[in-house]
Amino acid sequence: MALNRKIAYINLTTGEIETKPIPISMRKKFLGGRGLDMYLMYNHVKPGVDPLGPDNVAFVSAGILVSTLASATARTHIGGKSPLTGYVGSANMGGFFAPEMRWAGFDHLVIKGKAEKPVYLWIHNGEIEIRDAKNIWGKTVHETQQIVREELGDREIKILTIGPAGEKLVRFANVMTGVKDAGGRSGMGALLGSKNLKCIACRGTMDIKIAHPQEALDYNKTFITQITSAKVSQTQGKIGTPFIWGSTNSWGGIRTNNFQYNQLEYSDDIEAESLDEVNIGMAGCFGCQVHCRARYIIPDGPYKGVYDEGPEYTAQGAFCGEPGCTKRNTLLVCNHLANIYGMDLLEVGSLTAWAMELYEKGILTDKDTDGLELRFGNDEAMIEMCHRIARREGLGDILAEGGLRAAKKIGKDSIKYLIHVKGMSNLHSDERGTPSLALGIATGSRGSDHLRSRPAVDLYHLPEPVLRKIYSTPVAYDGPLTSDYKDYEGKPWQVFWHETCYEAVDCLGICKYHTTFLAATGPNFEEWSRVLYYNTGLEMSPVDIWTVAERAYNMERLFNLREGLTRKDDWLNDRYFDEPTTRGIPAVQGRTIDREKFAKMIGEYYEHHGWDENGVPTPETLKRLGIDKEPSHVL
Amino acid sequence: MAKVLMIDYEKCTGCRLCELVCSVKHEGVSNPARSRIKIVKWEWEGRYVPMSCQQCESAPCMSVCPVKAISRNEEMGRVEIDYDVCIGCRMCIAICPFGGMSFDTLASKVIKCDFCDGDPQCVRFCEPEAIQYVDAAEVSSVKQVAAAEKFTGIMQKVAAAIAAV
Amino acid sequence: MAKETTGATTMESLARGRTTGKFRCVNCFVRISPPPGAKTYKCPHCGFEWRVFWISPTFPRIRGPVWDVNRRLAAEEVSKQRKGGK
Ligand code: SF4
Ligand code: SF4
Ligand code: SF4
Ligand SMILES: [Zn+2]
Repeated sequence: MALNRKIAYINLTTGEIETKPIPISMRKKFLGGRGLDMYLMYNHVKPGVDPLGPDNVAFVSAGILVSTLASATARTHIGGKSPLTGYVGSANMGGFFAPEMRWAGFDHLVIKGKAEKPVYLWIHNGEIEIRDAKNIWGKTVHETQQIVREELGDREIKILTIGPAGEKLVRFANVMTGVKDAGGRSGMGALLGSKNLKCIACRGTMDIKIAHPQEALDYNKTFITQITSAKVSQTQGKIGTPFIWGSTNSWGGIRTNNFQYNQLEYSDDIEAESLDEVNIGMAGCFGCQVHCRARYIIPDGPYKGVYDEGPEYTAQGAFCGEPGCTKRNTLLVCNHLANIYGMDLLEVGSLTAWAMELYEKGILTDKDTDGLELRFGNDEAMIEMCHRIARREGLGDILAEGGLRAAKKIGKDSIKYLIHVKGMSNLHSDERGTPSLALGIATGSRGSDHLRSRPAVDLYHLPEPVLRKIYSTPVAYDGPLTSDYKDYEGKPWQVFWHETCYEAVDCLGICKYHTTFLAATGPNFEEWSRVLYYNTGLEMSPVDIWTVAERAYNMERLFNLREGLTRKDDWLNDRYFDEPTTRGIPAVQGRTIDREKFAKMIGEYYEHHGWDENGVPTPETLKRLGIDKEPSHVL
Repeated sequence: MAKVLMIDYEKCTGCRLCELVCSVKHEGVSNPARSRIKIVKWEWEGRYVPMSCQQCESAPCMSVCPVKAISRNEEMGRVEIDYDVCIGCRMCIAICPFGGMSFDTLASKVIKCDFCDGDPQCVRFCEPEAIQYVDAAEVSSVKQVAAAEKFTGIMQKVAAAIAAV
Repeated sequence: MAKETTGATTMESLARGRTTGKFRCVNCFVRISPPPGAKTYKCPHCGFEWRVFWISPTFPRIRGPVWDVNRRLAAEEVSKQRKGGK
């Protein structure tokens, strides 16, 4: 059945490999994917280890519903202590890797130690082999996958790999699969690189038994129709995530010129509709009927004729909004470079934009940039910095260490201009007009990030009864909720709700676009209870699934606290409070976040979790969730 | 009028849901290796081609079968295998130019598309309508011929790729 | 009970409230319907003007602002608010 997949412990130092079944009790507690990874991480990563040393552990997993009938069941999760933040490292990607890993017999890999020389893993129908990677070390993400398939003689092999950036230990290097599917944020690519592990190749033809096949088929039809009939899905299925740029940039929610403005004006050339002109068709991840990935061919310039996928909304912000660039070609090229080098484009764009502000303010000079004119709106400089960061050349080498380390090295008051939380660069959204979004990035367990808890539907001005409906299932809530995204009231609950929702989706292995993220009508806990039953036979109520997610999120919190996190790390750069916005619609002009109200929000957010005023889970909370005796070393 | 599967590979997004639902429908499992449809991909060019049995009028698999286990069911418009007769020699797999016949190693039998007995699941789930279940006559309309011609070149490339494995 | 499938879930009941052919003006939040095929559309309520893209012939969306118009309107509005506030 869908639950008989194994966990493998792989020691790269000794070459030992051990496999074990996953007890059903652990499934009920953590399901799989990110949830179980977080349990494993708390249990296997000793406090205070060097994230790039052999004592850190890498976790690779598939969600419990991966490859079954529950819409887009494609997600791979990668965990470990983050080389970027020193806290929770956690990355998630779509594509076809996780399903293949399940067909090959495995749900979780625990990778320890460090190989003496570059290696890769070959996983095939229950077997795991450690192989020499000298042919692929130094190769790009795209080249590596082609070479390995050829070497092993099977074009159906799916590969999770790092690119040159991961090998060079760029602290925000990605784990990648396919053309552009990226396990980004928190530097999991550097973690694999530090272990001399270039890639994991999988191929499997083992059955995953579906508990109730006909019901699973029929319900999946209902489930999918519900998702694809949402306006957001239809839009996304035609022009991809860049559609979000349209409204967000229209009202003024795009971080521009690092943090100097909140709107990239006259950006017509990089809007979704302009990208659509080079789009040769959409692509889907495994099982997905939303198909939000654009396939494109670069139409002009030195990279003319190159094929790639994307770019996504985040790339628009990273390579255009933040550095103030407005040319489509820049976006297409930088997106391609990030994909083949295998690095987090949000960091690349964000850190480059920060360096541009430092350059314009005279904190960085031509000497530091080797003569590169690092000004806002210099498209060539943006492209050049992609190369330099990936190859760790000059200033790129400094930025490759991540914002906080770079700020220390650059000195002066450079840190004042760095837009980060917990050492992770913020994506390109400007949250000064939207307290709920600001709270989300300030508190996210992996740092400043939108995929932990962003209540995106808060931007839709939904009527209160609709909000009530969404936010009072599966657990009751009768506190305030307001339609205005500028408010502070009730937002902590929304952030808590989405945080729990996204954690659940990551345990299940379903894509976030198939839940209440961009569409208010997306499926969540009630529907998951059904798909879980039909596919796996596990009977869990919507509240049970909610509780799994809460439990897993608390494991993340415990990990962060053990690594020294305190309440003051759940906070924003002073610029959010001191520099008012200057662009966009009148309602978001002149906006800052109010320090006092924001602190109050954080307090409420802690309360919803059952954490004390320092953000520490209370003994009662841990007891309620059954994690008061961790680490318990069951797995 | 018998119906056929009409495939427009240009609409395919490569999601492989068709492979999943086909294996669930027939075997109660998620396992593309046991699916009767296969998406052949050129990922680095962004091209995806769904391959399944063409239910040929004069089917090569039928003529090559040494024990006459394969026959045409005119009413359903499909080519069928009689498992009581089939000896599992896999000649049909070798000769099929479209990769329409494959071998299920777990069940030790050759498998091919049976239109899900008239309710094709791949069609039911393919949102971009890359696979459609249409009257055979419709496929031969001028427009379809043009599409088919374009398709033939791709098919040869696919067949070559499959043969190379 | 996990397998219980009777009764509409939150998702199902919310889907009944969908509208077509309209979008919300991102300035004033009123739902507005541009004439079919329009490339730009001025919000009849607040005067902000949007560039429009059609996902399908009946499905419009905001591509972006008509920059010069909205910049001017926003500047006027903001200076009025500032004066009013004093
Ligand atoms: S379901 Fe349709 S779009 Fe998806 S792979 Fe199959 S034919 Fe292509
Ligand atoms: S299996 Fe191949 S040869 Fe036989 S009918 Fe199908 S497509 Fe034709
Ligand atoms: S019609 Fe049925 S048997 Fe044939 S490929 Fe589609 S799902 Fe498989
Ligand atoms: Zn308006």
